[in-house]
Amino acid sequence: MPRPFHVKGAGQWTVTPSEGVRKGTGRVLGMLESLLAVGGLMLLRDSVEWEGRSLLKALVKKSALCGEQVHVLGCEVSEEEFREGFDSNINSRLVYHDLFRDPLSWSKPGKALPGGPLEALRALDKRTVSGPATIALDSLSWLLHHLPCPTLCQTLHALSRQDSCPGDTPPGEQVRVLGLLHEELHGPGPLGALSSLAQTEVTLSGTMGQASAHILCRRPRQRPTHQTQWFSILPDFSLELQAEPPLESQPRSDPHTPSVDPTTHLTFNLHLSKKEREAKDSLTLPFQFSSEKQQALLRPGLGQATSHIFYEPDAYDDLDQEDPDDDLDV
Amino acid sequence: MAAAGTCGTGTRSTGSMVAAASTNNVTSFQRRGPRASGADSGCSRLVSIAGTRRSVRNGQLLVSTGLPALDQFLGGGLAVGTLLLIEEDKYNIYSPLLFNYFLAEGIASGHALLVASAKEDPADILQKLPAPLIDHSYKKECDEDICGHKMESDIKMKIAWRYQLFPKMEGGPVLSSGFGHDYDISKRIPQELIETSKWHGFFLPEKISSTFNVESCSLTSGYMKLLQFIQNIIYEEGFDGSNPQKKQKNILRIGIQNLGSPLWGDDICCAENCDASHSVTKFLYILRALLRTSLSACIITVPTHLIQNKAVIARVTNLSDTVVGLESFIGSEKETNPLYKDYHGLIHIRQIPRLNNLIYDISDVKDLAFKLKKKLFTIERLHLPPDLSDTVSRSSKQDLAESAKLLGPGCGMTAGGKKHLDF
Repeated sequence: MPRPFHVKGAGQWTVTPSEGVRKGTGRVLGMLESLLAVGGLMLLRDSVEWEGRSLLKALVKKSALCGEQVHVLGCEVSEEEFREGFDSNINSRLVYHDLFRDPLSWSKPGKALPGGPLEALRALDKRTVSGPATIALDSLSWLLHHLPCPTLCQTLHALSRQDSCPGDTPPGEQVRVLGLLHEELHGPGPLGALSSLAQTEVTLSGTMGQASAHILCRRPRQRPTHQTQWFSILPDFSLELQAEPPLESQPRSDPHTPSVDPTTHLTFNLHLSKKEREAKDSLTLPFQFSSEKQQALLRPGLGQATSHIFYEPDAYDDLDQEDPDDDLDV
Repeated sequence: MAAAGTCGTGTRSTGSMVAAASTNNVTSFQRRGPRASGADSGCSRLVSIAGTRRSVRNGQLLVSTGLPALDQFLGGGLAVGTLLLIEEDKYNIYSPLLFNYFLAEGIASGHALLVASAKEDPADILQKLPAPLIDHSYKKECDEDICGHKMESDIKMKIAWRYQLFPKMEGGPVLSSGFGHDYDISKRIPQELIETSKWHGFFLPEKISSTFNVESCSLTSGYMKLLQFIQNIIYEEGFDGSNPQKKQKNILRIGIQNLGSPLWGDDICCAENCDASHSVTKFLYILRALLRTSLSACIITVPTHLIQNKAVIARVTNLSDTVVGLESFIGSEKETNPLYKDYHGLIHIRQIPRLNNLIYDISDVKDLAFKLKKKLFTIERLHLPPDLSDTVSRSSKQDLAESAKLLGPGCGMTAGGKKHLDF
């Protein structure tokens, strides 16, 4: 059960060296396992400086060790070169389909892979009928150059959909397609098209001799998760996580200016004391009527039969009933 | 339009529905005329189709898109016989929601559905539709959820007491009764509703699985099969009026997912100067002709961020009727922008059709943003958050003014040029 590995947002996973050593083996399994757990199409985008075939072989080795069937379609390197570095039990689990030696099938027409790359992919589609399987395409760049892009996309989609009911099959039964893609060889069109099909995209880069993988995991209907891992691959194709190399410290752009409080040193008063607040609350506003009058004004339709007079005496009104004009001698 | 013609002269039907709707709309006009009850008049020109209503502006027959907010900004709904194009967001998270709302509205209103996809099986798509809510308890819960502070403001307003009975101004639209339903996207649609509805599915890998050569994956073959399928369904089920003895008229809702992606065999996403860049435009032209001559409405999602040639995007936009673009903030620098922190993305209404009209039916609100809550997808006017910090310095106001300058004039704050005038 892969441990939850996804960090929302573009976070760097910093591992101090001592921590890495202690938890080293646990984390090593974590990255490859989490990559293989997703299923579907995984793109490994590499470039000239940071090659991806060793990571591909590490993933192949990992899935072979888990007891799955691994099919490899080799187009760019020869079979001997691909199998180099694997020990015999892994090599026995690898089923290698060779397109490198004779891609156009000139030597023996009618032999194993007659129809070219498309037929080879179709054969892979039919071959993995039972159990979880991993298909490694050695490279998608080679296939993109020999097949039209929509055809390749449709074939990859058919391959990675092998499980047909994504809800029913347990994750272990899925078919994984690992594709190595040299991103410098293609324009933005094919790269975008393949990215939109892929469930996981691993972009290899690095600084100062240390390789890093930027993993973008796209689950359907969920937000994509980004993660960056620094790693190195050992000669026996197992993966070792590394700590992030220290970045050169850049000078902080703005020293934090002390914030000035504009409410000090004012010529007027911005705050109310308690007594002032009480006085303010008890002030009678000019058009503030009694609640009875307010309700009558808000609901004008109610008091139609009789008209009401609302008299609210002002503070200065004199309630004396005597007529003040009595003093006058008129 | 032939579709409007077959549905009668327009003004006399659904008077009651219009009256009910107009209490919540801007206009208070009510159409007067003989009230047509279904029992009295047996003639078909006065019958009203379930789930539709007439536009109050020009009498056009409208269907709901499933989202009342979107209906409001599209002028009341989607006109029957037109095409709604959704430009997908970058990671294709929110456009399937709009697609699902449209289909769920079709099931809830009893319309027939046609779902076409090259990526997912249509049966799976139908299983994932949101569940409609029949009673209005959800709306109350939703309202309380949105503005919980509304309760406190009902208590005495001291100075402005004359306004305390007025309803508070809504940030979003008000649901008009009888047209459009509420949905809960955290729940799936119940199985019996799917089974009682009439739907047809088109899944491309099944239709062309027989011949898988390079030649047969030619660009128009997938589209051609889809067009033939749609035409057959329209003819057989009588949506174009070809079987007049059919008793009840119904609307066909067509949904096509990811049109133009490489999975349909089209390479407009792969190359800039593609060989057959006209296949998708031909498809849209023929599809619109089919829509205009039948009682149907169509929604299409297109991954325009992948299309390499801008001219193709412009052609696709021109060939559709209503175009809505989604722009999500995931992965872009707008995600951390404090202006947009309440929202998940922007909606751009790029085109509104002018159907039997001299003017366009555009709303005056140009800045719309959407937010995906747990149960609901809301579309709101983009409001800038108030500047509530204690130490408001001039530079931060300048930044806001600059960012707000990029928004349209319909925004809440008037932001002038670079100089911030301070009084």
